[in-house]
Amino acid sequence: MNIVACVKQVPDTEAQIKVKGDGSGIEEGGIKWVMNPYDEFGVEESLKLKEKFGGEVTIVSVGPARTMETIRTALAMGADKGVQIDDPALYNADAYATAEALAAAIKGVSYDIIFCGQRAIDDDSAQVGSILAEILGIPQVTFATKLEIDGTAVKATRPIEGAAVVVATSLPCVITATKGLNEPRYASLPGIMKAKKKPVDIKKAADLGVTGASKSKVAKFTPPPARPPGKILCADDTPEGKAAELAKLLREEAKVI
Amino acid sequence: MELSTFSIGHEGREVFWNAEHFEPILFMLTFVAMAIFAYGVYRRWLMWTAIGKPEDRTDDRNERIKALLKNGLLQIKTWSDPYPGVMHGLIFFGFVVLFFGAAFDATEFHVAEPLGVPFLVGKFYLFFSFLMDLFGLAVLGGVLMALDRRYLTKPDRLGYKGEPDNRPDDAIVLLLIAGIIVTGFIIEALRISVTWQQTPWEVWSFVGWTLAKAFTGVSPEAAKAMHKWAWWIHTAFALGFIAYIPYSRLMHIITTPANYFMATRKPIGQLEPIKDFENAESFGVGTIEEFTWKQIFDSDACTRCGRCQDGCPAYLTGKPLSPKKLVQDLKNYWLEKAPGAVASRKEQLIASGEGAANINPKLKALFAWLDKADRIVDENLPKGPEPTEKAMVGEVVELDELWACTNCMYCMENCSAAIEHVPKIIGMRQFKVLMEADFAPELQLTYRNMENNSNPWGIGAHLRADWGKELGVKTLAEDPNVEYLFYVGCAGSFDDRGKKVSVALAKILQTAGVSFGILGTEESCCGDSAMRGGNEYLYQTMAQANIEVMNGYGVKKIICTCPHGYNALKKDYPHFGGNFEVYHHTEIIAELIEKGKIKIKIPVDDVRFTYHDSCFLGRYNQLYDQPRRIIKAIPGARLVEMDRNHEKSFCCGAGGARMWMEEHGDRINDARAKQAIDVGAKTIAVGCPFCLTMMSDGLKFHGKEEEIVALDLAEIVWKGMGLEEEKAPVEVCQA
Repeated sequence: MNIVACVKQVPDTEAQIKVKGDGSGIEEGGIKWVMNPYDEFGVEESLKLKEKFGGEVTIVSVGPARTMETIRTALAMGADKGVQIDDPALYNADAYATAEALAAAIKGVSYDIIFCGQRAIDDDSAQVGSILAEILGIPQVTFATKLEIDGTAVKATRPIEGAAVVVATSLPCVITATKGLNEPRYASLPGIMKAKKKPVDIKKAADLGVTGASKSKVAKFTPPPARPPGKILCADDTPEGKAAELAKLLREEAKVI
Repeated sequence: MELSTFSIGHEGREVFWNAEHFEPILFMLTFVAMAIFAYGVYRRWLMWTAIGKPEDRTDDRNERIKALLKNGLLQIKTWSDPYPGVMHGLIFFGFVVLFFGAAFDATEFHVAEPLGVPFLVGKFYLFFSFLMDLFGLAVLGGVLMALDRRYLTKPDRLGYKGEPDNRPDDAIVLLLIAGIIVTGFIIEALRISVTWQQTPWEVWSFVGWTLAKAFTGVSPEAAKAMHKWAWWIHTAFALGFIAYIPYSRLMHIITTPANYFMATRKPIGQLEPIKDFENAESFGVGTIEEFTWKQIFDSDACTRCGRCQDGCPAYLTGKPLSPKKLVQDLKNYWLEKAPGAVASRKEQLIASGEGAANINPKLKALFAWLDKADRIVDENLPKGPEPTEKAMVGEVVELDELWACTNCMYCMENCSAAIEHVPKIIGMRQFKVLMEADFAPELQLTYRNMENNSNPWGIGAHLRADWGKELGVKTLAEDPNVEYLFYVGCAGSFDDRGKKVSVALAKILQTAGVSFGILGTEESCCGDSAMRGGNEYLYQTMAQANIEVMNGYGVKKIICTCPHGYNALKKDYPHFGGNFEVYHHTEIIAELIEKGKIKIKIPVDDVRFTYHDSCFLGRYNQLYDQPRRIIKAIPGARLVEMDRNHEKSFCCGAGGARMWMEEHGDRINDARAKQAIDVGAKTIAVGCPFCLTMMSDGLKFHGKEEEIVALDLAEIVWKGMGLEEEKAPVEVCQA
C-alpha cells in the first residue's frame, strides 16, 4: 500500500507571534517551526499502515526552504521519501492553491491513501484535505479518530456532537486526521540519521504545471486586542450579592447574557 | 624443635606437634587445593573476558592502588554501617592475622628452625599465641554476628521485598569459617591438655588453655589420638576453604578488591558521552555484549549485602527497582550467557591463530591442558534446562525497574564493592530511547518541549528572561564584562516557584556587589533530564548550544541555582569544549556571608530548620557543608538533621528525569517530606528547584503546608537580610 502524508510547517504553539507593521503577515524571526500537530497524526497513521500492509510513505509539503526540516522530521519517524514544493508564488497561497499544488505533486506519486491533518494550527482553514480530494476526484473522510482498512474497504470513525459516526468508503481516498487517531511516535536516533539521506524532491510550481494563483487573499493581519484588566466584585460580600453583581455586569457591560 | 628445649624465659612450642609425619601429605593436599582454586579463577577469568566491550581501567595506577589498599585492605567503606562493618571486620581482619600466623608457623618449621634461627620463642611467642587466640575469637564473634543477622534479625536488605534471599552457599561459607576456627581451638586445647605441665606459659593461648580444662579426664594417649583427628578435620576445612573460594560467594575476596582497583577515576556521576552519532550503528546498551567487560565484572563483585537497597528511594517506596536485584539479575544473565561466549571465543582464537603463535611453548602446553580440563569439566557438569532466550532490557531488567531510578547515586556512593549501577541504567535507557524510541509518553512530551522551546515545561522560549525584567539584570549581550555568568536554568526561568529563587539570588548578588549577567533568551536548557533519561542526542544538542553561546562571550565563571545544571556544566560540558569554573549558589552565598559582604540580620525565633541534601549537590559534588553553614549563620536558627542526611540522604524523587514522569504507588517526595516532618522541622531548606517542588508537594500531601515551609537557601537568606521593602497588602475592595 502506497501512502501519501501531507504536512505543513507551522509556528510552535508556544511561539510568540508578532504581526508585521504593515499587517501583511507575521514576523518570522525567532519563531520555532514545527510540524502541524494534526499532520503528525496523519504521518503516524501512514507509518502504521505501512507496518501492516507494506509499501511506501511519501511526505508532501508546500513551503519555503525551512520546510525541509519538517519533511525530515517525518522521514525520521519512518517515512520513505519526500516532495517539497518550494515556490515563492505559493508562499502566501490560500487553501485552494495549496491543495492544487499538492494534488499536482501527488499525481506523480503512486498512492492508495492520502492523509492530511484536519486543519493547520496557524490559519485554521481546514479546507486543504477536502479540496485535494475534490481535485483528485476521490472520496474523503474528515476528522478521523479511527481507521480500519480491509482490502479496499475503508471504515473511518469521526466525532460528531456527543457521538461518533462510522463512514464507509473505499480506497483510494483522502483522510484528514485529528486527535485520538493515534499517538505520534518519537523518532529513533537511527531514524533521524537515516532521514538525512532519504530522497526529497524539490519542485517549483511550474514543474507541476500549476500557477500557484490563490482564489482568496488575506487582506490584513491584526494582533488580538490587549486583554483588559480583570475586575473584582466588591459591591456585596455574600455569595448571593456577588452572583447578582456578576449577572448585572455580564448583561449590562459585557452584553453576553 | 623438641618440646624439651623450651622453658620459662625461653617459651615456645613444637610446631607440627603430634603431626610431624603428616607434613608431606599436607604439602600434597595444599597443592591440590591451590590447583582447584587456580583452576576456578582461571575459568572465571575466561568468563570475565568472554563478553563485553573493551574498557581500560588501569590508568592512574597509583590512585588505583590507593583505592585498593583503602577499601580492599583497610575496608574503610564497610565501616560506614556499624553492625555489618564490625561483623565483616572481625572476620576479615581475624582471618588476615590467622593467615599470617599460619605462615609464621610454616616459616618457623621449614626455614627458621633448619637454619637455626627460630623466632617463635620467648616473649614474641607469648605475644603471638595471645594474638592468634584473640583473633580466632574475633572471627568466631564475626561469624556469630553474621549468623544472627542472616538467620535471626533478617534485615530486609539481605532479601527483596520482605522475602529472604539466603542460599546454601551463604550457610556453607559461614560454617566453614566457624569450623576452621573451632577445630583450631580444639587442636590447641588437646595439645595443651597433654603438655600443660611442661608448658605453663601456654596460659597465653588463653582460649586453648581454658578449653584444655574440658579434657582433664582424658588420657594423654586418647588426647593425642583425638588431636590427630581434629588436626585432619582442621586441615580439610582450611584447604577446602581455599579450594571453595572461586566457586562460591567467597570469590568476592578477589573480585571486590579488584573492583576497587578498577573503580572509575572520573568525577562522580560523570557520564561518557556517545561520540559520533553519524557513524555509530547502535546506541546505548540493549544486549549484554554492549556493556563493557568491567560493567559485567561489577556484578561478580557484588556480595548481595544490600547496602544499595537500604537507601534506594525507588525501592523504599515500593517500586520494583532494587540496585542489588538489578546487579544480581545481570549477573545471572551473564552466567547463562558466559559458557556459550567462552566457547565461541576459544573457537575464534583458534580460527584466527591469534595468541597461540606468540605464547611461549610451555604456556601453550599449559593452556592445552587447561582446555582439556575444561572439556572434561564441561561434559560432566550437571546440565540444567537450556536457558530461555530473554531480552536483557525489558525481561532481565524490567522496564518498570529501569525507569524507576532517580539517579540519586545512593547505591554507588554506599556500595562497599565499588559497583557502578547508574551508568548501566543510563546505558539501557539510551537503548530504549535512542534505538527503540519506546518510552513513557510524558517523557516524549518533555523531550519535544525541550526540542521546541528548550525547556522541559514547553513554555515559550522567548519568556526565558522575563523573571529578571524588573531587577535590571543585564544579559551578556548588553554587558559581557562581568565576573560571573548566572546560568539561570529552566526551573529558575519558567517555573513560578523557581523564578522566586532566581529573583532572591539576583538581589543577593546585587546587594553584595557581585558582578554578574545572564544569557537571557540565548540560554538553553542544560539537558540533564535528557541525558539521564537516555536521550543523549537531545542532551548534546542542548549542551553544544549553551557552550557555543558561553564560549562566544568568553565566559569563565558560572553560578547555577539548579544542581542538575551545575553538575552537567561542571562535569559533562568539558566533553564538548565547555570548560568553566562552575559554582552552586550556596557556595557563593556561604562565601559572601563569611566575607561579611552580606549579613543575615533578622533573627528567627528558635526555628527548627532541616536541610534536605540534593543528590546532585551532595553525593555528586560533596557540597554538604556550605548549605549548612548558611543555616548556621541565621541568628536563632536551629539545624536539625533528618535521619538520612549527607551521603545517606534520601532523594526527593525528581532526579534522573523522574521529575517529568508519572510516579505510581507511594511517592518518594511524600516519604521524604514525612522524614522532615518527623524531626519537627518548621523550615525545610533546599538548594535545588526540583527538590523545592517535590518537598512543597510532599508537605501538601501530608496536609502540613500551613505549618511547615520549604524554601530555597537563597530565599531564606534574602528574607533574612531584611532589605525587601514591605509592600502594603493590596486592598481589593475598599471599605
